[in-house]
Amino acid sequence: MTVRWIVRTLSELCVTTGTLIVLFVCYLLFWTGVRADNAMDQEIGRLQERWSAAAPAPGAARPGPSTAPAPSGGPRPYGSGAAFAVMYIPRLGADWSKPVLEGTGTDVLRRGLGHYAATARLGAVGNFSVAGHRRTYGDPFKDFPLLRPGDAVVVSDGTTWFTYRIDRRPYRTLPDDIGVIDPVPRASGYRGPGRYLTLTTCEPEWGHSHRLITWAHLDATQPVVAGRPPALSG
Amino acid sequence: MYGWIWRHLPGNTGVKALISLVLVLAVVFVLFQYVFPWAEPLLPFNDVTVDQGMAAVR
Repeated sequence: MTVRWIVRTLSELCVTTGTLIVLFVCYLLFWTGVRADNAMDQEIGRLQERWSAAAPAPGAARPGPSTAPAPSGGPRPYGSGAAFAVMYIPRLGADWSKPVLEGTGTDVLRRGLGHYAATARLGAVGNFSVAGHRRTYGDPFKDFPLLRPGDAVVVSDGTTWFTYRIDRRPYRTLPDDIGVIDPVPRASGYRGPGRYLTLTTCEPEWGHSHRLITWAHLDATQPVVAGRPPALSG
Repeated sequence: MYGWIWRHLPGNTGVKALISLVLVLAVVFVLFQYVFPWAEPLLPFNDVTVDQGMAAVR
């Protein structure tokens, strides 16, 4: 009786633990992706709604191409945890587009890419640095190692398209190497101040022992009213 | 454990099966909604930044 009871309870415990682990794996591989894709679509939708509401009527638009791409958002700081831009990286997929949110907290990175709050604003002199998940939560940076010099990273803040060009292959570093998001990133090969972009994600794919970094410089800007930049239509 | 629960559910076999199903779904919901989101940051997949916890220093 007691032996039977012990064996039964033990096997029930084992089955329960196994089921829990399988469920957790399902959650990680599948459910976080569903949730993140949903959240990111919502963020992008909300942004585009806001942008189209803020945009002047087409007739009232300034003559597009001749206008200087001034940061018309002004120095208004990005709201913490709020989306302020959409990023496109054609190398990661023709339909790859993710919202960029302010901050790099856990809950922010569940809803999109996170902008390091202490780094430069989009398109400004300095280093616009963005972190994203490699795995889970929609796997935004799953194909990060495929990025190559010359690849475009296009970011739109609703008024201007910023086209950055990647300058070197992904660089592997340690998790505490905060020099990679310096205004002139260490080890990037950049000499003087400029308008840079840094992307960071984890390395190896499912681990956290290292980070994978890529750097880009601002190559071109054009107002949104002038249409999509050549890097996206090509 | 499961036998004990089964024996304490009311009704005939059909009702018991139905209640069991609801219980299982409730447990899965609680896990996905509350337990796993809490447990997930304890795993390494979130560590994608280079200034973990050092934002204030910069």
